[in-house]
Amino acid sequence: MQNEIRSFYHQLQNQGIIFSFSGPISQSLLEGIGQTLKQKMSLEETSTNVIRKVFSIFVELMQNIINYSAQRVTSQEADHEISYGVLIVGKEEDQFYIISGNYIQEDQEAALQEKLAKIKSMDKEELKQYYKQQRRLQADEASKGAGLGFIEMARKATQPIEYDIARMENGYSFFVVKAVI
Amino acid sequence: MDIFTREQTKSTPWIHFDPRENRLQIQGESYPENSASFYAPMMEWLEEYLNNVGDSGVRVDVELVYFNSSSSKVFMNLFDRLDEAAKNGAYVQINWMYHEDNETALECGEEFLEDLENVEFNLLPIEE
Repeated sequence: MQNEIRSFYHQLQNQGIIFSFSGPISQSLLEGIGQTLKQKMSLEETSTNVIRKVFSIFVELMQNIINYSAQRVTSQEADHEISYGVLIVGKEEDQFYIISGNYIQEDQEAALQEKLAKIKSMDKEELKQYYKQQRRLQADEASKGAGLGFIEMARKATQPIEYDIARMENGYSFFVVKAVI
Repeated sequence: MDIFTREQTKSTPWIHFDPRENRLQIQGESYPENSASFYAPMMEWLEEYLNNVGDSGVRVDVELVYFNSSSSKVFMNLFDRLDEAAKNGAYVQINWMYHEDNETALECGEEFLEDLENVEFNLLPIEE
């Protein structure tokens, strides 16, 4: 076990992974990790604009897991649910990347696929117009966010958003998304 | 009407809406887990305030270092509501304050400005 942990840790470091988390995710965890992430980047003299972009995408992805992961522990209080997912922040050839993964309901797959494909096909100006148009729409009932998260991410990222949805068992799919800054 | 106020937290801004001064202030960062529910009381307060604002001058000072996408939607609603009040005769001035080096905050301000018609919307840089 000890050896495995050591090699796991070194493996993460060798791959340029700054931070990796897998398990229950909550808003307070997001706030804590977000702070540390900003501190770490600023100690390494990352430009403030890059720090802001990384932080922004980090928040959108963490809240995406919090709001939409199909693997969750519900609570009486609406804002105190715990959701499960995985999130990785790393650096590769001078660029930061953030990857997140979580289960979704199989029946959400098509809508998500469609939204992400649409976003991927847009240039920055089209993304801006789409963002503004969506911002004015009334939030749909099932959405705890504003449906703007992926558009926001695509606008902040320096490369098109990559994603993958894999069909699992029992009506679930596993959704992975990656943004490069 | 009473003053509407909220203390700043790590993920929510300081809010101070004073009906006697006709001055609404928001300052800090905004990325709560559920923006719509967090800001619901503020929007309710605003609704009642604007129903009685008539042709008063309203000054809105907003200094947001960072906000997430769901907060952006709430702020659009807030500004739309203010824009409507301005259309109905109130004089509404929105001061969008951003730190000089914060390109994102400036762009966000510009994108709100582009979507509003009746308010006076000022982009005001804060020197470091």
